[in-house]
Amino acid sequence: MMYLVAIGFGLGRFVEQIENLSFIEFYYPGLLASTAMMVSYFESTYPNYTKLVYQKTFSTMLLTPLTPNQILAGEILWGATKGFIGVCGVIFVSLFFGLFKIQILLALPILFLLCLVFSSFGLIMTATAKNYDSFIFSTSGLIIPMSLISGTYFSLQNSPVLVKGLAQILPLTHAVSLTRTILYRKLEWIDLMSVVVLLFYFLIFIYFARKVFQRKLIS
Amino acid sequence: MTKAVVAQNLVKDYHGVPVVKNLSFEIELGECFGILGPNGAGKSTIMKMIYGHTLPTTGDLFVLGLNTRTDIKQIRSKIGVVPQDDGLDVDFNALENLKIFAGYHKIPSDVAEARANHLITEMKLNDHKYRHVETLSGGMKRRLTVARSLINQPDLLVLDEPTTGLDPQSRLWIWNYFENLKAQKKTMILTTHYMEEAERLCDRIAIVDQGIILDCDSPQKLIEKHIGSDVIEINVGRESSYWKSKLNSLKISFQDYDNKLFAFFSDQNARQQFITQLQNIHFVSRVANLNDVFLKLAGYDMRGDA
Repeated sequence: MMYLVAIGFGLGRFVEQIENLSFIEFYYPGLLASTAMMVSYFESTYPNYTKLVYQKTFSTMLLTPLTPNQILAGEILWGATKGFIGVCGVIFVSLFFGLFKIQILLALPILFLLCLVFSSFGLIMTATAKNYDSFIFSTSGLIIPMSLISGTYFSLQNSPVLVKGLAQILPLTHAVSLTRTILYRKLEWIDLMSVVVLLFYFLIFIYFARKVFQRKLIS
Repeated sequence: MTKAVVAQNLVKDYHGVPVVKNLSFEIELGECFGILGPNGAGKSTIMKMIYGHTLPTTGDLFVLGLNTRTDIKQIRSKIGVVPQDDGLDVDFNALENLKIFAGYHKIPSDVAEARANHLITEMKLNDHKYRHVETLSGGMKRRLTVARSLINQPDLLVLDEPTTGLDPQSRLWIWNYFENLKAQKKTMILTTHYMEEAERLCDRIAIVDQGIILDCDSPQKLIEKHIGSDVIEINVGRESSYWKSKLNSLKISFQDYDNKLFAFFSDQNARQQFITQLQNIHFVSRVANLNDVFLKLAGYDMRGDA
């Protein structure tokens, strides 16, 4: 809500139109996607690191027939669910800003997929972290920059090739542009590519998360 | 059914450092088996291999006839573990902790509820069952952890230092509880630093150091074999060499520790005879115990790592 007011209205007043949209309309999908990413990522890092290292919750669960993969799946799903709750919160707030469109329902699965991507990424970071400070690297080095350059705040169309190219390999860019298209434009076959990219990241992250999580729990 | 545990040439390396070196042992069903050793001896590693938190580098370990490499899920459904860290879930109260754990075991919720309440009563936690675990005392947490290990009605209990850090009252209570389980022929594996605990509870004890078993037998036999029946502790001070040569000439075995000598006697007569020769020197005469065996086998040096 603060972001919507501060960036959407505050900053947005100085921007006339961006990709034929008012700034707040343009920014709204970006906010949805970056909320999904941030909340999922944070939910699957710090609390899980506590459970892994200090509370020994996962080790205790492994005294039962549960397997590391089951625990991992549960935590990825929970992280994603929490992110999705965040997304729903943003949608709720957007009602008061006249941003609600029925098409958002179509964007929800995409946003949930994005939550899964960053929740599994968060668990890789959790299983490889040396201490709480380790998360600074992925937060400041990847998550924050990604939230800035993935076409959330500015249009990638008129950006330098380097920025554009870099943005295209990031999962958040694809979620933002897909959500924006669903909300304001006509979907085309090419947009399927964004779904493929998100799925690709999800599968890659799951693959590595399984490896590092298993190694962390069973020596 | 076969044996409770069979270890065949177990080896465990951590990053090339051997922690367990070629161990072989068998534990019978209905037996209480103790593993004693100084810190860093490999006790916990052996325990972790039994419940599958660590896999052997080479060799095989069978628990209740099942291979820990391939059948760990089945093994875990049949054993109860009290790990060194309680691992209680701080987000929940005592009763919920048991019920959630039962859920991981896929125990139907009505059965779980009944068992959890029964165990809470048995562990004298009735007044505390709705309290969050963080507010429980160390002894209560430990009892709750023991209750948790019993929720799946295990065939084998794995107890890794179950009484470390408890006050004497709590420890005594837990010992009594384990003695009752023992009377019901429950198979138990126990590691501990308390010799009294091992002597009271265990049918057989393996003394482990630096990843090998130094000896394995019943507490009584271990004492008889390595010490005898009686011990005299002599405060020799600076006259250590005199007393050593004296003991040697009398063919009495002893251990040397700082400014003390521990002399071991196979029977009371031998001890009595020796006492007559002790004049103008401070000494303590007592019955031999497991502590003497432990120190004799594992040595008197303190260990660095835990």
